[in-house]
Amino acid sequence: MKMNKAVEDVHEAEGELAKRLRRTGERHAAESDLFHLGHTLARQCAEHLRALAPFAERYGAKPAPDDVDASPGLLEAARVKSAGLVGRTEAAGLLLMADLRELYLAAQHAELAWVVLLQAAKARRDAGLIDVVTRCHEEAEMCGKWVRTRIKEAAPQVYAAG
Amino acid sequence: MIDRITDIWGSRTPYAAGADWPARADQYLADGVAEADVAWVQSACVLCSMDCGMDVAVKDGRIVGVRGRTADRVNHGRLGPKGLFGWQANASPDRLTQPLVRRNGKLEPATWDEAMDLVVERSRQVIGEHGPLGMGFYTSGQLFLEDYYTIGLVVRGGIGTPHLDGNTRLCTATAAFALKETFGSDGAPGSLTDFDSCDTLFMVGHNPAETHTVLWARLLDRLAGPDRPRLIVVDPRRTKVAQAADVHLPVRNGTNLALLNGILHELIAGDHVDKSFVEAHTVGFDKLAQTVAGYDADRVAEICGVPAADIRAAAEIIGSARRLVSTCLQGVYQSHQATATACQINNVNLLRGMIGKPGCTVFQLNGQPTAQNTRETGADGDMVGFRNWQNPAHVADLARVWKLDPLQIPSWGPPTHAMQIFRYAQEGAIRFLWITGTNPAVSLPELARIRSILSQERLFVVVSDAFLTETGRLADVVLPAAMWAEKTGTFTNHDRTVHLSERAIEPPGQARSDMDVFLDYARRLGLSNADGEPLVPWQSPEECFTAFTVVTRGRPCDYSGLSYDKLRGGSGIQWPCNADAPDGTERLYTDHVFDTDPDECEDYGHDLSTGAAFERKDFVALGAAGRAVLKAAHYKPAHEPPDDDYPLLFTTGRTAYHWHTRTKTAHAPQLQNAAPEAWVELSPADADRLGVAEGDVVRVESRRGRLEAKARLSGVREGVVFAPFHFGYWDRDGDGPDGTPTAANELTMTVWDPVSKQPQFKGAAVRVERIADGGGVPAPAPTTTASEPAAGGLPPTAGGTGVRETVEQR
Repeated sequence: MKMNKAVEDVHEAEGELAKRLRRTGERHAAESDLFHLGHTLARQCAEHLRALAPFAERYGAKPAPDDVDASPGLLEAARVKSAGLVGRTEAAGLLLMADLRELYLAAQHAELAWVVLLQAAKARRDAGLIDVVTRCHEEAEMCGKWVRTRIKEAAPQVYAAG
Repeated sequence: MIDRITDIWGSRTPYAAGADWPARADQYLADGVAEADVAWVQSACVLCSMDCGMDVAVKDGRIVGVRGRTADRVNHGRLGPKGLFGWQANASPDRLTQPLVRRNGKLEPATWDEAMDLVVERSRQVIGEHGPLGMGFYTSGQLFLEDYYTIGLVVRGGIGTPHLDGNTRLCTATAAFALKETFGSDGAPGSLTDFDSCDTLFMVGHNPAETHTVLWARLLDRLAGPDRPRLIVVDPRRTKVAQAADVHLPVRNGTNLALLNGILHELIAGDHVDKSFVEAHTVGFDKLAQTVAGYDADRVAEICGVPAADIRAAAEIIGSARRLVSTCLQGVYQSHQATATACQINNVNLLRGMIGKPGCTVFQLNGQPTAQNTRETGADGDMVGFRNWQNPAHVADLARVWKLDPLQIPSWGPPTHAMQIFRYAQEGAIRFLWITGTNPAVSLPELARIRSILSQERLFVVVSDAFLTETGRLADVVLPAAMWAEKTGTFTNHDRTVHLSERAIEPPGQARSDMDVFLDYARRLGLSNADGEPLVPWQSPEECFTAFTVVTRGRPCDYSGLSYDKLRGGSGIQWPCNADAPDGTERLYTDHVFDTDPDECEDYGHDLSTGAAFERKDFVALGAAGRAVLKAAHYKPAHEPPDDDYPLLFTTGRTAYHWHTRTKTAHAPQLQNAAPEAWVELSPADADRLGVAEGDVVRVESRRGRLEAKARLSGVREGVVFAPFHFGYWDRDGDGPDGTPTAANELTMTVWDPVSKQPQFKGAAVRVERIADGGGVPAPAPTTTASEPAAGGLPPTAGGTGVRETVEQR
């Protein structure tokens, strides 16, 4: 039985997703929606891992420790400052698209890790784990849908405008 | 004699449930004007989204007064203070009367030809260098239907850019999205007459005593009647509405969704669900029930900072209602999780099975008089006639009417929202921005950022307005606009009532209607349709309206049975108005079949937490097909919680006496004198801790800016600081703070709801310090409204004499 591995994979994928959400938000701080929703969703990743913690223990998983969230207030101060500095370069569009594509892949990766764990949980008949994974999987999937929506909205301006 | 500044709502005419609201004719004529000497011209009021029917009194080519139209279904003759006195702005010497063009850094008078040549030359240059996506347009919620429809066709069909939005994005974008998410299409389900027969009112973040004064007059008459409806109010301020409530829930700003989830939880747990209605006419109940299961009253009380017993009491009243009307406005729409919260208010009525019948509805209200038309005409984030931009058949149908190749109409994504338009302008992607009838340099969040965007050398800014606003002062070209009563057109209120407003006087100087200016722009640009004919086939407002009746035929907002002639005399008429319903339609969804057919719906919906857009296949999988959609979302904490450095929560709002950035109301002496200067409201407990007394000058500071104003110790919730957003800098001849910042939006955050993209104005962390002694002189805040002093003791705000009220005897 390698349940620990499936749990660790989720940990790694959600940790990576959280990191990319924060990084994309901070690198593109002038895109206020990416900044704020990015941090909100990064906090959601942390919540997912907290919900998974009892099962990590049950199955002997040894996940890497979570990143600690910075306070929203400190982040906002940083946003106001950095948005003023980098918010006016025209090359920002291509960089934005590249980062959003990476973010989309990270969300897909996390979504798939939850699918794998859900399958394993079902085979283990672990009702508690099935509940947690079902909820978290849905949110990870929605995170990917959101990034996809954002990419579709951003692409025309980046590629088709003068 | 009655003083209509002191007595905002006028004299009482109580009535019972199910009875007709008695008529009361309100009339105000300028001093010394005899009734016999005036000519009356039909119109409706444009100083809130009620659109009260009114006649304009004209003498010697000038407006000299107004009277309410007793036959009108909206107001039964009544007018509020803004309607009674606001018309004086038309004759203000501050009106713009000729175009201005920036030369050597200074705005100088120019001819229309010079100004329009420049606008067209820069448009051509930007389109040539950057394509249509280099062009941006930001319009209003205060023009007429004919102005918007013309702008929409010129911008989307002609220029071909998706970058057109209205300031309705700040106002009622969430109303539109909440209606689309739940019912499949925009359009208020109910009627103002539902207030006449309801037995319970649930009002969330809605202060009609100040924002819809004539609606509040109607409710006061019900509350004073023999069978008083029960009233639940959610508002962090102790408004006049809250004072009248059976249960007032002064929630902590930014916790609306937790409260609504809590109410829904109580309704489900208390078995107050109309199960057969939910089963037959909705989808999504299990998911909703699962989502709200964790929101027991004790947990919600903790989050929202209100007693659990009050939450239970509110739910019990809603749960025992037989005829429930729920309403919401900016307290919901301008908070975070706006659309998610607004949808839960829809859900309250759906769980109770109380929609589509007398006394049972939900009002996702509007703020601006013509916001509904910005939405219907597609001059904001919507497509014409509530078409679905993701539905190729809808786009093709519009292209057919417009005689264009469907590819010409931008439909690869949703129309660009205002905050994104400004972002594109900030990064240099948009190089041309035309702003019509709105003042973003005061009304958008984080003003230092907005001013810096509008001041860029590389951005060409055109401003059409009746006055030289803060935004106009930053423009390259300023075009003088004709106002209400100076042009003919139509507009629609928040219960779908369409009014005709006739031209009563000539516009001042060379001012022109926005429709005429955009017709001229299209002509000069040589815009044409696929047959090579001029793109815009109309010349007059009436021709434009007729074209709109054609393009809306068969859509939910069906105008096909309406005409100017039909709208003349009598009352305004509610759409849909067509061959089947020649007199209009009082209520939508009376058969409980909603607009969620995938081929018909205006939108396929979104995830409420992230704004992820659903596609047709997702929507089909939902299986709504005529049933309403119960959408759910979890509460998440606000974006900027208070902390040690910024320990208080800042919220913005409005007062009964002013409209937006005061360009109109500050030019009406009665209104201006009632609220002459900016103020800040603190709770007595916070003021005590800060050592602030009534009238002391305080500085309120956020991470983005500061404002300075006199403090009023009011009934605002402890921990919350309130400031009205009306007070900018134009009356100090400035485009921004020169010494003393007074605009509330200096402090607000650049952040918006993920679904409706409505900016958040009601929740920023701030700190407050006292900077000067007030010498015991009270703050210049009204005492007759939510800004009344908590301790009382100040004389009522006054100065509105000369109004005649005539109650019609039944």
